[in-house]
Amino acid sequence: MNFFVVICLCIGFLFFLGGTVGIIRMPDFYTRLHPAGKLDTLGLFAMVSGLAAYNLHHFSLSTLLLSVKMMLIVFFVLHSIPTATQAIVDAGMRAGLSPFTRKKTSQLQGTGEE
Amino acid sequence: MKLLSLIVVCLTGGLLLYGTADLPDWGDPNTPASLHLSKYYIENAIRDTEVPNLVTAVLADYRSIDTMLETAVVFCAGLACFMLLRDFTPKKDHYYRHVPSGVILHVKNPDRQIIAGNEFEDMDKEWLPPDTIIKTVCRMLIPFIQIYALYVVAHGDFSPGGGFQGGVILGSSFILLAISYNLKYLLKRVSEKFLGILSAAGVLVYMGIGLAAMVLGGNFLDYEKYAPIFGEHHIRALGMLGVEIGVGMSVTAVMVIIYINIVSEGKHDEGL
Repeated sequence: MNFFVVICLCIGFLFFLGGTVGIIRMPDFYTRLHPAGKLDTLGLFAMVSGLAAYNLHHFSLSTLLLSVKMMLIVFFVLHSIPTATQAIVDAGMRAGLSPFTRKKTSQLQGTGEE
Repeated sequence: MKLLSLIVVCLTGGLLLYGTADLPDWGDPNTPASLHLSKYYIENAIRDTEVPNLVTAVLADYRSIDTMLETAVVFCAGLACFMLLRDFTPKKDHYYRHVPSGVILHVKNPDRQIIAGNEFEDMDKEWLPPDTIIKTVCRMLIPFIQIYALYVVAHGDFSPGGGFQGGVILGSSFILLAISYNLKYLLKRVSEKFLGILSAAGVLVYMGIGLAAMVLGGNFLDYEKYAPIFGEHHIRALGMLGVEIGVGMSVTAVMVIIYINIVSEGKHDEGL
């Protein structure tokens, strides 16, 4: 049981770390939303699953209820984060923000040098 | 008239600023609140009120009149927003989309309007509704948000929460409906009249509970006078629940009123 909890927390930590690095290192708005939306969702899923399992050490009705509530939070977050990311991307497209492409930046750099 | 109101506003603001000079310093340990009051609340709240949540016990029982007037302030904020922003001039241009073909019609004559139905869809000039994913997920999530809001209102006595917080969550669920569909869709479900009545009814419920306690022979907002009707058991918690429901109604309605007035510039036709 403890083994499962530790594995879950480590996976969650890895996902969160990747998400944070991704948000800092990615070049523009849309690509930053990619780690923010995907990796945080998965990291939260793994971490809260581990904590809910850890909470069941002393098995009783109240701890079971608490674990079910934690998994309910995960369930709603799994729905709402991807939808929110989709809505933000949609808003970005409507506002006229063009996505990052390597070609365009090299062109821009080329014109800057000339 | 404008000059007069300016003078009144400046005078009130000046008096309030003058009043703050008498307030104790931030974190001063020698104030009455720190010396006697907090100690009394912490030691006696659970015995006096039988409510485990100390914050709610202070907010809705010891200092109940304060909270009642706070609710009235929230109601006044909604009323002020309505008075300042509401614009009753009818809109001239209407846009309709013919659903089977996707053709968009622009009708300028206000007398010749198409009735939106199965074939024609009412649409906004600037705001296009979001796509199916957002609509579907919001439609699924909104009932859960509302149930959670009612849980927060109802559990104000026993866990963190209460009327203000629950009211804000309930109001934000309506705002989410307006964002994920459009403003007309929201106004079809909760009309402006309903919101106005709800915001006033919340204050009325609060004051009514207080006045009914007076009618039953106690002080204003003395919940223990309800014991002959509802029984002795947790009577103060019940009274607080009633008061919190009033607060929740008022806050919910005012949140939605402020949102729809600001977002549509008072026209209530289109907006975010």
